[in-house]
Amino acid sequence: MTAPVAHAAEAGAGADLLFDEAFLRRLEQLELASRRLTVGRMKGERRSVRRGQSVEFADYRNYSAGDDLRQLDWNVYARLERLFVKLFVEEEDVTVHVLVDASRSMDFGEPNKLTFARRAAGALAYLGLVHLDRVSVAFLGDGRAINMRPLRGKARVFEVFKFLSEPRSERLTGVAAAARDYASRIRGRGPLILVSDLLDPGYLDALRDLAGTRCQLSVLHVLAPEELDPEVPRDARLVDNETGRGIEVTGDDDLVDRYRTRLGEWQEELAAFCSRRGGAYVSVASDVDLSDLLFDVLRRRKVIE
Amino acid sequence: MIAPLALIGLVSLPIIVAYYMLRLRRRDVPVGSTFLWQQLVRDVEANAPWQRLRFSWLLILQLLIALLVVVAAARPFLTVSSDLAGNVVLIVDTSASMGTIEDDTSRMAQAQAAARRVIGQLPEGGHVTVVAADDSAHVLVSDTDDRAAALAAVDGIVATQVPSDLTDAFALASALAARDSDSTVVVVTDANADRLPQVGIGAPVQVERVGATDANQAVAALSLLRRSGGAQLDLFVAVSNPSGVDMTRRLEIYADDVLVDARDLAIPAGQRSEALISSVPQGARVVEARLAGDDALAVDDRAFALVPSAGAARALLVGPGNAYLENALALLPRLELFAVGADGYMDALAAAVAAGKPYRIVIFDRTVPADPPTVPALYVGPAADGAFGTVGRVLDGPALDRTDPADPLLRFVDLSTLHIGRARIVTLTEGMRSVVTSVGGDPLVAVGRVDGLGLGVLSFALGDSDLPLQVAFPLLMSNLVDALLPSTDGILPPSVELGQPIAVSIDPAIRRVAAVTVASGERVELDVIGGRVTVPGARVTGLVDLQVVDDGTGHGGDSLGRTAANLFNPGESRVTPGDPTRIADLGRVGPAPGGEGLTARSEWWWPLAVVGLVLLLVEWFLFHRPTRRAVARRLRRGQPPASARASGGSR
Repeated sequence: MTAPVAHAAEAGAGADLLFDEAFLRRLEQLELASRRLTVGRMKGERRSVRRGQSVEFADYRNYSAGDDLRQLDWNVYARLERLFVKLFVEEEDVTVHVLVDASRSMDFGEPNKLTFARRAAGALAYLGLVHLDRVSVAFLGDGRAINMRPLRGKARVFEVFKFLSEPRSERLTGVAAAARDYASRIRGRGPLILVSDLLDPGYLDALRDLAGTRCQLSVLHVLAPEELDPEVPRDARLVDNETGRGIEVTGDDDLVDRYRTRLGEWQEELAAFCSRRGGAYVSVASDVDLSDLLFDVLRRRKVIE
Repeated sequence: MIAPLALIGLVSLPIIVAYYMLRLRRRDVPVGSTFLWQQLVRDVEANAPWQRLRFSWLLILQLLIALLVVVAAARPFLTVSSDLAGNVVLIVDTSASMGTIEDDTSRMAQAQAAARRVIGQLPEGGHVTVVAADDSAHVLVSDTDDRAAALAAVDGIVATQVPSDLTDAFALASALAARDSDSTVVVVTDANADRLPQVGIGAPVQVERVGATDANQAVAALSLLRRSGGAQLDLFVAVSNPSGVDMTRRLEIYADDVLVDARDLAIPAGQRSEALISSVPQGARVVEARLAGDDALAVDDRAFALVPSAGAARALLVGPGNAYLENALALLPRLELFAVGADGYMDALAAAVAAGKPYRIVIFDRTVPADPPTVPALYVGPAADGAFGTVGRVLDGPALDRTDPADPLLRFVDLSTLHIGRARIVTLTEGMRSVVTSVGGDPLVAVGRVDGLGLGVLSFALGDSDLPLQVAFPLLMSNLVDALLPSTDGILPPSVELGQPIAVSIDPAIRRVAAVTVASGERVELDVIGGRVTVPGARVTGLVDLQVVDDGTGHGGDSLGRTAANLFNPGESRVTPGDPTRIADLGRVGPAPGGEGLTARSEWWWPLAVVGLVLLLVEWFLFHRPTRRAVARRLRRGQPPASARASGGSR
């Protein structure tokens, strides 16, 4: 195994977020998919709806006073004796939004869902920074979004890792309110990746608000192995990790079968919701290897190119 | 029901129901969120101590199990007619042959099952006495109507290694039956005893015969002889095959637990094979013969013998000369033989006394001296009266009557093929007893003590019989000399049959001795009364050591002698079950007691117990079904393909 990147530790990134150099090098070969043309602020590596100065031809328009004479198409003038200005596709940066659900329900499971979410978010944010995108990382919880200022450039990756590594122990869920909070303050469009277990009654509201930002929504639905395949004792009281409230169940086969059916229906419902809004839905267990997720699953789902 | 008090257990039924109605103290299981679970659990109830009783297969099963257990514990029964009388004496044979193993089950276990059946058939109000019988009777439970106690006594019975002798048990049964005219004696046995008790019983005798196999071979004889003045040890071994199939068994000889010889012996069905082995080392003290491999009865596959000391006694043979007799006596390691004619007898005695080397035994061949010796004497074919008795007319071709194989004088001696052409009728004096008798009741071989001296007599001359040509001849001579001439190897005989007590004279100063079984260390302490003590018969094969516990001064520990205890009982080794009518015929022939309208209780609690056990297994299976599935899931999770776990992304 290759050694972890030394300066990652110096930047104070948490141990959970340490990626070895080979992993990061492999990661740099990937790029977050951006199927929508977006309007960016700075020149970047992505196509923009603005016409600019790249080498890729976009359209013609009539000349008007003040236009750059260098953009006139003299060949057309020779044929038609009319002045037309050539328009080119402007290459601009996009904003990659990586949102991590930091509710108490995420702080559960073996392996821990929140830890998995932090690592996945770190890797996705690194992808954006490597490709000169602006990256906005935020934690959702306690009814609000806690985000760091958008960053740009590969050198800022350690600030992202440090932010993701900071302890979060939000007491309440409030994913819907937090998502609405983030959506209302969003700046810049681009891929928006939500890493969450969505175990919140307001999960649909949250997705609706985020999809309404016209960002390209991708949902990384993280569930622990014991949530995908639960083992319930015969006489048990299931205690909610968020609220501390319990419900009494009789853990027979019928209950477990019904749980699995309901879970499947729920995942179908989420996948359909994302599909209707042009987004991607990826359900993933927290014991899945991150490499498999990034280099296999997310590529197949076109979240990463 | 025999135990109606057990029905108190029915109170467990409402307790079980109440347990299901009580709200359970449930185990807290943390989950990330109950969001999904809440949509599934419809029956979340208020926090009340009681809940509505719901249908549950577990509840039904547990109620059924409790009901079955309680009813079974109450021991229900059906009333059936009984073949037994109200007073039953149950005799269970525990002799050595009951230790036979057949079809992986001991004959004793079969006997216990049969005894339990008998107890189960006891008529209502009946009572039973359970007697275990080997060579004596042991009352285990006396005249009880408590079937549980009787069954417990039967369960505690174990087979012994001693030969069967039902005399005591029958005498006891006869006495018990005499007290109650409504009695039945039931004997559970393999009925293979040679000797039947000569006791009539005034009650019907039923025999529950057990056993089937005859596949057994036995070490039937083992004897060590010193020859050549004690310089050579010869081991005589006989292996019998009472089964109906020719067998070849490997005979192994151990000297002080070291294997010194092994050979295969072919033994025809119903016969025995003998071997003379000269490879026993001189320094050995104990020799063991062992049949390798398994057969039906293990106890007779081993036999032990003590090596006699090398010292020899001077013996004088008086007569006209007899090569057979001289050779047989010369072979005896205990004797240093000298021979003289009848006319030189007195001079020889006087010369020996003068030399300080007196003869310790005198053998008279066809001669009776006018002046008998003051040492033990053996008379062979006497033609005149002597200290042993008076000699009468000639008896032509006397046929042998049945001999007693248990007599120590006939140990290893097979006289079944002996033919005697002519003998003399001898009238024995007081103190003599006949060992081998003719059909007409005349003694052919006799021993005894007259005026404190051992005397033996063969009422026929060796030349008038084929005895010198028999294998039994040297053995008979050896046994006769042993009987007449006390051994110098301690006060115990070199070999003794299991269960046979030994009466020995002992130094009157000794107050207390102990018989120690060498193999197990088990010791039985005995008081010495008037210089005599009776050592109880050994119960297991092996060596028995008689030790001084108190020599009169408070000291002890010295050994007074050893003996080897062996089964050597043809009847026990012939494990083939015998004819039960021989035993049944000893009882009174009369109307069956069942004809008087007696009834028995046939208990049927065990089917309930079996059904309860099956239901318990079903209940266990149902109760742990979630656990089993969880384990299976966990095992499946042990080899998860990572990409497969994330395949939910395709939803």
